[in-house]
Amino acid sequence: MTDETVDVLIIGSGHSGGMAAKCLTEKGISCLMLNAGPVADARRDTEPKPAYALPFRGFKQPGRLEHVFQSNEFNANTWVDEQEVPYTCDPQQPYNWVRVRLFGGRSLFWSRQSFRLSDYELKGKSHDGFGDDWPISLSDLAPYYSRVEAIFRVRGHADGLPQYPDGNFVPDNSSWTGCMQRFVDAGKKMGVPVCKPRSSEGVDGLASSVNLLLPDAFATGKLRAIPNVVVRELRVDPKTGLVSEAHFVDRLSRREMSVKARVVVLAAGTLESTRLLLNSKIGNSSGVMGHYLIDQVYGPGIVCSVPEARDGRATPELMGGAALIPRFRNLDTKAKNFIRGYALNVFSSAHPMDPRNFAAYGAELQKKLDSYSGSGFSTGIMGEVLAHYEHQVSIDKNVVDAWNIPVLHIDTKYTDNEFNMARDAVDTSIELAEAAGFEVLSKNYDPNPPGYSIHELGTCRMGDDPKTSVLNKWNQSHDIKNLVVVDGSCFVSGGWQNPTMTILSLAMRASEHLAEQMRQGNV
Amino acid sequence: MAASVSAKTMLGQQTVTPPPPQAAPPVAPSAPPPVATAPGPVPWMRGLREVKPLPITPLVPDAVAQTSAHFFTDRQLATLRQLSEIMLPPLKGYPGAIDAGAPEFLDFLIGVSPVDRQQMYQSGLDRLDAEARQRFGMPFAGIQASQADELLRPWLRTWMTDHPPAEPFAHFVNLVHSDIRTATINSEAWSKAETAMGREEPDVGLYWFPVDPDIHREEPGREASAPVRHPAPKKQHA
Ligand SMILES: Cc1cc2nc3c(=O)[nH]c(=O)nc-3n(C[C@H](O)[C@H](O)[C@H](O)COP(=O)(O)OP(=O)(O)OC[C@H]3O[C@@H](n4cnc5c(N)ncnc54)[C@H](O)[C@@H]3O)c2cc1C
Repeated sequence: MTDETVDVLIIGSGHSGGMAAKCLTEKGISCLMLNAGPVADARRDTEPKPAYALPFRGFKQPGRLEHVFQSNEFNANTWVDEQEVPYTCDPQQPYNWVRVRLFGGRSLFWSRQSFRLSDYELKGKSHDGFGDDWPISLSDLAPYYSRVEAIFRVRGHADGLPQYPDGNFVPDNSSWTGCMQRFVDAGKKMGVPVCKPRSSEGVDGLASSVNLLLPDAFATGKLRAIPNVVVRELRVDPKTGLVSEAHFVDRLSRREMSVKARVVVLAAGTLESTRLLLNSKIGNSSGVMGHYLIDQVYGPGIVCSVPEARDGRATPELMGGAALIPRFRNLDTKAKNFIRGYALNVFSSAHPMDPRNFAAYGAELQKKLDSYSGSGFSTGIMGEVLAHYEHQVSIDKNVVDAWNIPVLHIDTKYTDNEFNMARDAVDTSIELAEAAGFEVLSKNYDPNPPGYSIHELGTCRMGDDPKTSVLNKWNQSHDIKNLVVVDGSCFVSGGWQNPTMTILSLAMRASEHLAEQMRQGNV
Repeated sequence: MAASVSAKTMLGQQTVTPPPPQAAPPVAPSAPPPVATAPGPVPWMRGLREVKPLPITPLVPDAVAQTSAHFFTDRQLATLRQLSEIMLPPLKGYPGAIDAGAPEFLDFLIGVSPVDRQQMYQSGLDRLDAEARQRFGMPFAGIQASQADELLRPWLRTWMTDHPPAEPFAHFVNLVHSDIRTATINSEAWSKAETAMGREEPDVGLYWFPVDPDIHREEPGREASAPVRHPAPKKQHA
């Protein structure tokens, strides 16, 4: 029987775990990575198939993954099964928890939109009085953002807007298509900045832990990894007060095992990290753990048609392309019924239109589809969700997952601030589109259920005061100094920005700080 | 016999002498029982690994067979067939919903769906039929397209993904339309028509097999959908 004590145990292999592994091993520290799911191999595990050859003809298998709106019959096997790893919520307050446990986590499938937070988010309370400031500002994070952007090859255009901080970009100097230019011009008249989107190019379109982070870590010879093991509990040595052991279960055989470690880096993805800590009953002297769950509002938006592109007249010069409208509300002026702000994703499509945009059927619908094909233009909100103490997760004592691990109960909902913001986003989209001369075909004011954005954040917030926060500004537990949580659970506020660049930068910053602390013998 | 001897020799196995019959309770044999042997001179796995792929393009049953509909009542199915005919007739060389077996496929799909979806369909189809009888003195299955249009048009809406109309009957009319289209466009018949017209198959996607599936896993969908608070005080795997 082995009696090894590993230097650093990393739980999770996604963006955050991968970044921790890369930074720590490159500083010469040995790491062991545990991951709940198997290693996927797209050559072995996938096959191109027509929808008609699938059991449900391309419809979602009924009753499966009902809360994963992103799932379909082709990709159903890549998501965490809701029956295997359930969670509970009040049926009147549904939550969409969208999870991947394959090695590499959600970094295998993310859409790669890549933004920095600004001080409007990091210092939100100082700006408008609501909530709490982060213990760090953009100037603390900027050097890490720059390095992360280089690794992920973020393509973008420098716009010089304080709410849309520029970065270390692969320059995007492409020109606008005709329809986008019209939207940009309409925005100018209304004081709404329409900018180029920013996204990670990665390599061959993949910007994942498995191709951009973990290969470097393995190349050091300092990383070992075990797939298919589900960590159920962390144990603290009562003599030292330090975390010393992780208990896990083999996913396939259900054999129970444990491993000793000097340091634990938790990177299981926001809510799984919090679930593990709550189940372990550690690190929560503040009582704040599980609270302040946030994400972003998605769903509201509009679909339009560009009249000049109809009836076969769509050209690549006129149609196609994407834009991003960064937050513009509540910067220097005040919106009447909400605080903070939202961004809008803007797309133009040269593809056929979705039939849902026409209240017609049969031959009449087909005529519309033929005429409108290639003329599509749409907007969609990404809105800030306010952090409230009452929006929380806790352990549901009555339900366990397939490995007998108690599951999370998620208790959150959107409030008037989010609903009012959503309404403003749709009305503003309509105004812009009509000013650009587009025909608005359909609109939606209703947010998708919380969680849908796949940007769940908070529940182990960072802060300077151990009484009101779980982690310090280095992502280190206030209570247990050899426990570091490097995923999105540390967020104090989320802004409108897709969070992964920030998660990666914080994970890099926390891991390098940890390495230095270990070198000095403080941890 | 020769086969099993040679296979055993190959595997370095020893023959276990059967114990003499006696009255004592049976005890575990001292050595594990011999490994099951191949029916030929070499382990059959080798042959299997060398089989050349058959020239077989797997046939989907829809190419030759009909779905046996048994969830909806006869009346409901007749209504659904008429609705399918009206909402997606054959157009421009493409099969219509009836040619694609859409109503029968939906009978299967809805039959294995959660109860709320089943009820939405059943009550929607019943209401269409009742309205046709009241207004035109005929079942929905027997009315003219123009008469059906009078019943359907007031309920047609535009809507965005994941946000169908909330009002129950509008919800039904717009979702059944969308489902009829999906069942048709994702059919083999539609795919063949596309190919015949020289278009690329529109519905080929990258299918993910289960990756190293959990050996204990039960079939999903066997229970009402997950996550709602479990009333049972006992611990259980939901
Ligand atoms: C379809 C999609 C599109 C997205 N688009 C964007 C986007 O455009 N921009 C953006 O910024 N973000 C986007 N995201 C979100 C982004 O993917 C996540 O923010 C990011 O990948 C989170 O990384 P993570 O390492 O914190 O967590 P995860 O990727 O969830 O990784 C956690 C890992 O921990 C493991 N784990 C969990 N529990 C345990 C346990 N108990 N024991 C052992 N291992 C465990 C899991 O197996 C998993 O591999 C998207 C996500 C998806 C799915």
